[in-house]
Amino acid sequence: MAGSIRGSAIAEPASLPARPVTTRPLAARRYALLRRALRARLAPFGAAVTLLALAVAVLAPLLAPYDALKQDLGNTLARPGPTHWLGTDHIGRDVLSRVIWGTRISLVAGFVSVTMATVVGSLLGLVAGYWGGRVDGLVMRLMDAVLSFPPLVLALALGAVLGAGLTGVLIALGVVYTPTFARLMRGQVLAITAREYVEAARALGAPGWRIAGRHVLPNATAPIVVQASLSVAFAILAEASLSFLGLGIQPPAASWGSMINAGRGYLQQAPWIVFGPGAALFVTVVGLNFVGDAVRDALDPRLQA
Amino acid sequence: MGRLVLRRLVATVPVLLLVTAGVFALIHLTPGDPIDAMMAESVDATVKATLRRQLGLDQPIHVQYAVWMGRLLQGDLGRSIRNQEPVIENVRRRIRPSLQLAAFAMVISLVVAFPVGILSAARRNTPVDRINTTFALFGIYMPNFLIALLLIFLFGVTLRWLPISGYVDPFEEPLDGLRSLLLPAITLGLALAAVITRTLRSSMLEALAEDYVRTARAKGLSEGRVIRGHVLKNALIPVVTVLGLQLGTLIGGAVITEYVFALPGVGRLVVDAVFARDYPLVQGVILLIAVGFILSNLLVDLLYGWIDPRIRYR
Repeated sequence: MAGSIRGSAIAEPASLPARPVTTRPLAARRYALLRRALRARLAPFGAAVTLLALAVAVLAPLLAPYDALKQDLGNTLARPGPTHWLGTDHIGRDVLSRVIWGTRISLVAGFVSVTMATVVGSLLGLVAGYWGGRVDGLVMRLMDAVLSFPPLVLALALGAVLGAGLTGVLIALGVVYTPTFARLMRGQVLAITAREYVEAARALGAPGWRIAGRHVLPNATAPIVVQASLSVAFAILAEASLSFLGLGIQPPAASWGSMINAGRGYLQQAPWIVFGPGAALFVTVVGLNFVGDAVRDALDPRLQA
Repeated sequence: MGRLVLRRLVATVPVLLLVTAGVFALIHLTPGDPIDAMMAESVDATVKATLRRQLGLDQPIHVQYAVWMGRLLQGDLGRSIRNQEPVIENVRRRIRPSLQLAAFAMVISLVVAFPVGILSAARRNTPVDRINTTFALFGIYMPNFLIALLLIFLFGVTLRWLPISGYVDPFEEPLDGLRSLLLPAITLGLALAAVITRTLRSSMLEALAEDYVRTARAKGLSEGRVIRGHVLKNALIPVVTVLGLQLGTLIGGAVITEYVFALPGVGRLVVDAVFARDYPLVQGVILLIAVGFILSNLLVDLLYGWIDPRIRYR
């Protein structure tokens, strides 16, 4: 389900059946995956946007026509034109350059926080699902408790105590998204440990950590990858929301959310200050979502919307 | 049904305990001394010491927790360090605009989503459906604050039809009140409308393919009656589920919407408290929001069991 940052990104497809083991050669399987991913109608657009955003993020210093922090008080609120394609803001900074640098912050926030959540959540889910009993109860109740807060409110509270800035945002979003992965992984592990090959490994006397690492984990990754790819877009939205509220990335650093917040006082004279980063944010989020949908369709045809 | 209620209530207790522990721990997560974080460095050391004693931060942590929980059980959520008033009082003063905003947004989302979703399903894969799908796409992926700013730009700044900030209580001045809440409610309602539209469309398509629909058509019912009498009712269950799942989104969205439109609601209170580093107020309000969220989820669960009897026996 699509949803938003915001709640339903956290709605997990908890009871995915474990994936069957395929025996086709790896290369052929990869090719089939790619073909299926591309068949999704909107995937090419999503892929193009994502690649573009990645390229812009990496090449920001080369692409930005101006210094994103340099003020030009003689040229404030300039309309978009040949010298400043997206105009300038209230203290004369080039909006395009700031949008370009903002891409880097947004993608870092999205990918790093989701990676943290994926790693920590998967490990917790693996431990809870594989060892069961009290550990399971404790870990999962803890995850329930995290899920008992509306995501943005929790991120706000954590951001508040951790302090504004990129690190605080990353940790806050990482915590918010962790339970999704823990629940997902736990469900997978429960399904997989009931299979014959795990029983066989156990009968052969393999130690628990080895079964978990060699047999359970590799077979449980598909839905995790799907969830991770869908979560990145929502994490980017969440970072933008926090920065918009002034509790994320701090000025003068260029983050789409804080740029939009700074520009909202000038909607009448200079709407481009808001709409430049706004468009970048919207297009990136839509593109990443299409990629996520394509990944889901490719890895698990049963989930196709 | 009684057993379901009991089971769900019992399951909520440990989660509530963990939530309170989490909220308690919040203040201790600050890097360094929370008192230094709450007050400027220049503040006199004796003032800081007084606050530390007031908040009990000079006690060992287990004593702090016991005292805090003890007060909590008596309904004492603490006091704001800025205005010295109890948290409850702060929230009570701010709850009205928030509830009005939520109710108004819910009404708008349902009024928009039902016709659009039903039309999309009935006219599947036509231009109408495609336009609706695009609309839903915008609603789902467009961040709240961007929708808000677009609306402000269009209706507030360009056309000058509606106020762009401030709050008037609709129960005191009905017309001005509704006008002051209209843009915020559209902002908050649109995302919800988009999600409901998508859900309703797909669940209706599923219901339309059922045998009982073929039967209804075969006995000569008009398409309108088939949809009203047979399809819609069965398509509603997923919509209720999605409404429940969207609660968290709605609360988060309300925080941003109240911030953009300067509505004096609970969401705005959280943001202001965070800015003021008024940690006791942050703790209290967040705890109240979480408890409200847990109880609403519980209610949705029970509602779901009431609509679909099969769920009661799982």
